[in-house]
Amino acid sequence: MKLRSIFLFPAWVWLAVLFGAPFAIMLGYSFLTRGVYGGVEPPWTTENYTRLIDPLYLSILLRSFAMALAATGLCLILAFPAALFISRASRRKNLYLQLVMLPFWTSFLVRTYAWLFLLRDTGLINTVLEHLGIIRVPLPLLYNDGAVLLGLVYGYLPFMVLPIYATLERLDPALVEAAADLGARPLATVFRVLLPLSKPGIVAGAVLVFIPCLGAYLTPDLLGGGRSVLVGNLVQNQFTTARDWPFGAAVSILLMALVTLVVWRMLGREVEDLA
Amino acid sequence: MNRRAFVATMAGFAGCARDRRPRLNVYNWSAYIAPETIPGFEAEFGVRVRYATYESNEEMLAKVLTGNSGWDLVFPTHNRLQPMSAYGLLAPLRHDWLAGLDHLGESFRAPAWDPQLQWGVPYMWNGTGIAYNRSLEPAPARWADLWDARLRGRLTMLDDPEDMLGACLKKIGLDFGASDPETLRRAEREAIAQKPLLRAYLNAEVRDQLVAGDVLAAQAWSTTAQQAIDAAPRLAFVYPAEGFPLYCDCAVVLRESRRQRLAHQFLDYLLRPSVSAAIAQFTRTATSNAAAQALLPEATRNNPTLYPPAEVFRRGEWPRTLSPAAQRLRDRIWTEIKAS
Amino acid sequence: MRRWLAVYAVAFFAFLHLPLATLAVFSFNSSRFTVWEGVSLVWYRAILRDPQLLEGAWNSVVIAMASTLISTVLGTLCAYALWKRGSRLLTGALYLSLVTPEIVTGVSLLALFQWAFRWLGWQLGLSTVILAHVSFCLAYVVIVISARLRTVSPELEEAAMDLGATEWQAFLHVTLPALVPGIIAAALLALTVSFDDYVITSMVAGVDSQTLPMVIYAMARRGASPVINAISALITVFFGVLILVSEKVRAA
Repeated sequence: MKLRSIFLFPAWVWLAVLFGAPFAIMLGYSFLTRGVYGGVEPPWTTENYTRLIDPLYLSILLRSFAMALAATGLCLILAFPAALFISRASRRKNLYLQLVMLPFWTSFLVRTYAWLFLLRDTGLINTVLEHLGIIRVPLPLLYNDGAVLLGLVYGYLPFMVLPIYATLERLDPALVEAAADLGARPLATVFRVLLPLSKPGIVAGAVLVFIPCLGAYLTPDLLGGGRSVLVGNLVQNQFTTARDWPFGAAVSILLMALVTLVVWRMLGREVEDLA
Repeated sequence: MNRRAFVATMAGFAGCARDRRPRLNVYNWSAYIAPETIPGFEAEFGVRVRYATYESNEEMLAKVLTGNSGWDLVFPTHNRLQPMSAYGLLAPLRHDWLAGLDHLGESFRAPAWDPQLQWGVPYMWNGTGIAYNRSLEPAPARWADLWDARLRGRLTMLDDPEDMLGACLKKIGLDFGASDPETLRRAEREAIAQKPLLRAYLNAEVRDQLVAGDVLAAQAWSTTAQQAIDAAPRLAFVYPAEGFPLYCDCAVVLRESRRQRLAHQFLDYLLRPSVSAAIAQFTRTATSNAAAQALLPEATRNNPTLYPPAEVFRRGEWPRTLSPAAQRLRDRIWTEIKAS
Repeated sequence: MRRWLAVYAVAFFAFLHLPLATLAVFSFNSSRFTVWEGVSLVWYRAILRDPQLLEGAWNSVVIAMASTLISTVLGTLCAYALWKRGSRLLTGALYLSLVTPEIVTGVSLLALFQWAFRWLGWQLGLSTVILAHVSFCLAYVVIVISARLRTVSPELEEAAMDLGATEWQAFLHVTLPALVPGIIAAALLALTVSFDDYVITSMVAGVDSQTLPMVIYAMARRGASPVINAISALITVFFGVLILVSEKVRAA
């Protein structure tokens, strides 16, 4: 048993120093006051949290929730048929999985930039449409919520495919056969047999997509054109432009609390099954 | 040519491991230096310069605030000098080590933000105005022209609270540095009224869109505008009639720096007319160095975008440092505008 | 339905890969704009002429290798220990660190390092970035190795110990070899995640630690540039090759 303690020692150090301590510091900051030119100062106050209960910030939180929910929903709709296809492929499952994961191995920044490149007024999509004569004036595809949504979906799609695939793969094929024997059409089988049975995978995938989308910073920053504020931008803004560290810390703690809440119920056994 | 550069860089990396030259750490705005500036300094003084860049004052301040960031020189905008010195972040300048201060232009020898040039050496400066496409008839000449419905979807403003709110304040004829809630709320209403016309809030990214003709008018810094005009002559720039801000980025030595003498040598190097002129030409900014300005080609020296004539220059103002309370209110208003 | 699924799959994979492929194709375009003007390597040459880019790439490589090494070793040991007897606190914390939004991790680590300055006189730099990377890579490694461990039977180690091996020998000669494919996968994951990170790195980077994503981001903020296309193509190819090679090694 001594070996185990030695092996775990670095992990405990990590927990204390790189996970627990930053969190504790943030918690502390959130109860302090903003320093004159940045940083934090006493006195201790709960003002930062009471500031949060304000239509402005709650609306930002709501919009972030809505965006993350929309991205998750879209990912689910797009990923499920793909996962189904791969699970049914008799020969090249591995190849298809590699193809799904390949974009993931590329930089997330690069993948977000790809959409910047495609959606610009002088980007590929508009240029092609103009050449084909479908439009005469470039479409404003960039710098709106749609572009951000697209960027998020594109970035996190592989995270939805894999857990769903893992669950579908483990299903007993006899179940599908039984459904067919009982006269169910293929589509009905999908909706009434496969979908409910793949719930663990769907839940895991949803969590893996929802959480990062909730705190997304890079995608709204590059594709959103500064027109809207999401929670990720708000936090970053408070720590830089606004120089209000305590308030930024309070928003971060709130975000962490929400994330923990979502994860508490959903994660755990599901992901362990799939990992 | 590229093979040589590649080999040289590889050799540079190899040299890294055994580099015993003294180091100087410089943290500057991105695209704010000429390619030969640093190598020239390194060669002449036998030092190794570590150069990194940032995109905003606050990004730099967040790192520098604790007084242990590792940087020797940074380049804050002029109205950040006073808070930085109040916080004890800056080392006072040793004028006896800076012979080149004589080269500075008239407006920069005893500037309002630092009359004795105690804290920062003026580096490059620019102003905020309107960059527009000449196809617009009549051409925009005031901030108020940016609220025109004909610009719908083809207009951008700067993604910077100070500039954006400043433009709104100037449009309704109020003080650029206003800090009372009533005034700021009026400016906020203007900003929100303009938002439906806007394509986006963009800083330097707007340059390509101006060149391509997607954006017809943009609130832009003179540097960005000049770079766009260089690429597309059908663009033009104007300093609005109601008034506009001027910004001077100053080179400061951080108090935490353990290489004060070397840092001052770099500052003096930057003050050399030839060096400053090279930077100004490459980056298309305006230099605060009058001797350098004299070295620039005629067309650049008299470029109205970079070096506005006296009567235009008079309409500009150098924004002052805001009080913390005013800063907080403006931040909140900025969030409200973005979230609306 | 099979046919529709196949059609959908083609469209799906196209959606996943075309944006990147387009980036790569246009990196060979001699024109700055999206109008095709001719094949050219000018943007690739521009990469070699940009010292900031090259330095960023070098820093990214160094940081990625260091954090991958450290986090893989520590993570493997941790996963093994948790396999022997779990710890809900540690597992919970690891999962939580995985799902914490990057911006929150970034600012909290910055706050931590700023306190470290006060007490230890430490500076932001390569070491702080590597520490931050190890911090978030650890969870990934633990998850991958734990999954692999689920396929290893604990009886094997018990059998080895019955035959006279010590705990350490049992680990080294019985379990560890079985874990090698998992370790490779975990290391690859850590490498990718570390190389790619922007948000956390930008918050804790210091004097000599500008990484490639930071340079790319700064360039993207100044307007789209074909040089970014070229870098993207190079990164994609690099990691694609890395994955393929690792797959061959795993299959072997």
